[in-house]
Amino acid sequence: MSTAGVFHFQGRAIPFREGETIAAALTAAEIVCFGQDSSGRATRYFCGIGACQCCLVRVDGNIVEACLTPAREGLRVTAAGENDAGA
Amino acid sequence: MPAPDMVIIGGGPAGLAAAGEAARAGLTVTLIEQRAALGGAIFRQPSSGEVVALPRSRAAERLWRSLLAGIAQPKVKVRFSTSFLGVDGDGHVLIHDRAAQTVERLRPKAVIIACGAVERVRLRPGWDLPGVATAGGLQVMMKETGAAPRGRVLLAGSGPLLVALAAQMIRAGNPPLAVVEAGDPLSKPLAGLPLVGHPAILSEAVSYTMTLLRSRVRWLRGAHVERIERRGEVLQATVALRDGSREVIEADRIGLHDGIAENDIGLPDQAESASPIVIHAGDCREALGALGAILDGQRAGRRAAALVKNETVSMASLDKQLERARAVQRAIARLFGPVVTLPGAGELPDDTVLCRCEGRTVGDLKALLQQPGISGREVKHVGRFAMGSCQGRFCAANTTALMAELQAGGRRPEQQDLTGQRWPVRPTPIAAFVNAGPLDPAEDKEELS
Repeated sequence: MSTAGVFHFQGRAIPFREGETIAAALTAAEIVCFGQDSSGRATRYFCGIGACQCCLVRVDGNIVEACLTPAREGLRVTAAGENDAGA
Repeated sequence: MPAPDMVIIGGGPAGLAAAGEAARAGLTVTLIEQRAALGGAIFRQPSSGEVVALPRSRAAERLWRSLLAGIAQPKVKVRFSTSFLGVDGDGHVLIHDRAAQTVERLRPKAVIIACGAVERVRLRPGWDLPGVATAGGLQVMMKETGAAPRGRVLLAGSGPLLVALAAQMIRAGNPPLAVVEAGDPLSKPLAGLPLVGHPAILSEAVSYTMTLLRSRVRWLRGAHVERIERRGEVLQATVALRDGSREVIEADRIGLHDGIAENDIGLPDQAESASPIVIHAGDCREALGALGAILDGQRAGRRAAALVKNETVSMASLDKQLERARAVQRAIARLFGPVVTLPGAGELPDDTVLCRCEGRTVGDLKALLQQPGISGREVKHVGRFAMGSCQGRFCAANTTALMAELQAGGRRPEQQDLTGQRWPVRPTPIAAFVNAGPLDPAEDKEELS
């Protein structure tokens, strides 16, 4: 199946397919830990329905659930706990 | 743009059925869905046309098509990638359009909340490790991507979802290592008798079970995963087998599932003369499975429309069908009832994480409960249980269960003591509130007059 584009997670280029969520693309890249949240705990894919808030990541500065958010070309995805205001 | 008569939260079976029913009764409906596609968990759609969808039964396909047909009409508007933020003190429904990054205020006469179920996950040391997901979480990702989770996958807990997921993984070419099941449905076939009246459900159940039994996948019934540890890249699950022995299974991913619970945290129902009317529908009101969710969605749509139009409507036929859906759920619960005694949360090691978001442990709660008569509210505000970003959706039930276990004789704490009665907040940038649009013109006029 064809790659629709690439986004960046913690500096690593992650390919994604059309319509895929950030969580699905990270999982396909065999990334199980999505970084740390603001209290230093590991975030990761868990419930897949936007309820557990365990897969929070920061996308272009905003916190979102990776399991709900479609991947898009060129997005900058970092750990939820990372303050990238100065980056 | 005029305000819709009704706002429906959630585009799964209950929300879609409610929308179809309300529109048929003449109401305008805005249905908001947090994802980019309709379906909910049970009818989760492949993420693009390129993905080869998992095979679905003909009965499921028919249900899905009839739900879509019900909303294919001008009175129903669907908003994708939009989250519900709650109802404010003036009765405005706040929604967040994540693509436009704006918050909007709507003033409908009725709100139907159809946000589905959450999975129960029993506490075990290591349940919170990366690589451990809910079995339902693994399953919805499989529906989206068309591919089984990769690597060595262990499924554990209890319930028919584990059997269904195992069968789907077998058919998709990556069978799980094993299915660890606390119950033993094969030992009590009579408990499944009520399913005979529901050929569609029965044939699906038999088909999944036969796929599992014909495979080489070990179905360890009467067993449970005691703890999970991470050793480098590998997860090690210690399984307590039925004969009392232990076995360590190494896996790359573990899917846990201990049943389904109502996702009912947040707003309570408010019907007669409230503004707006709030009604819960489907699995978030009562977990009855997909068929039950459709019936309950129809019921909620019909009831809300009647309340808005000040009419009376008979629910007798739907109520009767819902009662049958309840009988099916009871039969399934009996079939999968545990055949071994599972450890109570109080017997778990003190460092077992209870509330993941705040990193609070079983030991933290035990220490807190040394104070006599401490309430659920205090456990939240002093102990920070259910205070984090999931706002109790995954820890409140476990926390109150452990409180009840340890505070013998006291008032049994309720989940609501920890979660309160407001809609759990969702990540929303402040800019989206700043961009909040004006109220609809009709209401502005009303406020001026």
